[in-house]
Amino acid sequence: MNIYAASEHQHPNDVKSGPEATEYTSNALKLFIESIDPQPKGQILDLGPACHENIMYLAQWIPKLYICDMFSRLVQCLHNKHPVHQIWRQLDYPPNSFDGILLWELADRLDGQEVGTLVKLCYTMLKPGGLITMIVSGEQRESSVVNSFVIGQNLRVHVRPQSHLQLPLCGRQNRDVLDMMSPLTPVRSFVYRHGLREFLFKRD
Amino acid sequence: MFKKEKRTDNDFNSPADPVMTSDKTIIGEQITIEGAIRGKGDLVIEGSVKGRIEVETHHLTVGPKGKVESEIHASDVTISGKLIGNINAKGKVVITKEADFNGEIKARSISVEDGALLKAVIELSNRSDKKGFTVGKPEEKAPPVTKKEPLAPTSEASKGK
Repeated sequence: MNIYAASEHQHPNDVKSGPEATEYTSNALKLFIESIDPQPKGQILDLGPACHENIMYLAQWIPKLYICDMFSRLVQCLHNKHPVHQIWRQLDYPPNSFDGILLWELADRLDGQEVGTLVKLCYTMLKPGGLITMIVSGEQRESSVVNSFVIGQNLRVHVRPQSHLQLPLCGRQNRDVLDMMSPLTPVRSFVYRHGLREFLFKRD
Repeated sequence: MFKKEKRTDNDFNSPADPVMTSDKTIIGEQITIEGAIRGKGDLVIEGSVKGRIEVETHHLTVGPKGKVESEIHASDVTISGKLIGNINAKGKVVITKEADFNGEIKARSISVEDGALLKAVIELSNRSDKKGFTVGKPEEKAPPVTKKEPLAPTSEASKGK
């Protein structure tokens, strides 16, 4: 797999209000969206926090958009001191359901064992050839505040902190990310100047 | 049990309130209903309801304390409470940050606030069937994504952290 260094330039409308305020043009999302057939039975699963812009963007062209906010459920689970594995009951979708799954930074908020469970579930839920896109934070972004990655014009992604969602962040090196996503096949990855990394994986 | 209220202009203080009928019915916090509800008028649920709800040309609101298990047919729907079931709306569905929704939504448009808890399937009736790379306002002569990014590929080892 090639890892591409994506250029990051200041957008005229950028508003930088703190270390979490970040914008970039998402190459992984572009490839993800290009690969998905919008007709007639295209289905995407979004595991991110509820985000109006992303719902509107995706639901405009995909026949069925599935949303299951795993971040809020994980926060609730930890708050109530319940075992984390309980949240996986929410991902009760039939095998081979989805053309694509948007993980966002979910894996970054889970320990290795739980990531393993997540990957197995995603592998089962994906159709053969289906894609997963995920984001891994850079070293300088160690906030426990979960982010929404808000899709904007021309796939310009704005990182919007969700202060009501706080979860520990597990920093991982690229090799660890590739290992933990097995048996999914790595397709492409991109690293941006502010440290964010995007990965695209495929079910063969 | 039911309150029938005359609606004033001030009641329509949300963008999700497009219906301009004169009456609305409120199912209060202490009320539990099991069974179908059908009517011509706006409906606000602050209590518990289990059963089909049909207010085809009107606005249904599930208030912050409302708990609903239902198949809903309405013109517009606002959810601020807990709703399990499917929504078939001719107009807009608004999901506020207090909402906990589990089910399917078929609507012309949808609005979702950060903080809402969702497990949903969303089908918009006004889909474009096209993958656009723009949302919101038309793009102002932005360069194509692929021409600027990515830059030259680098090896995994050199970039890996």
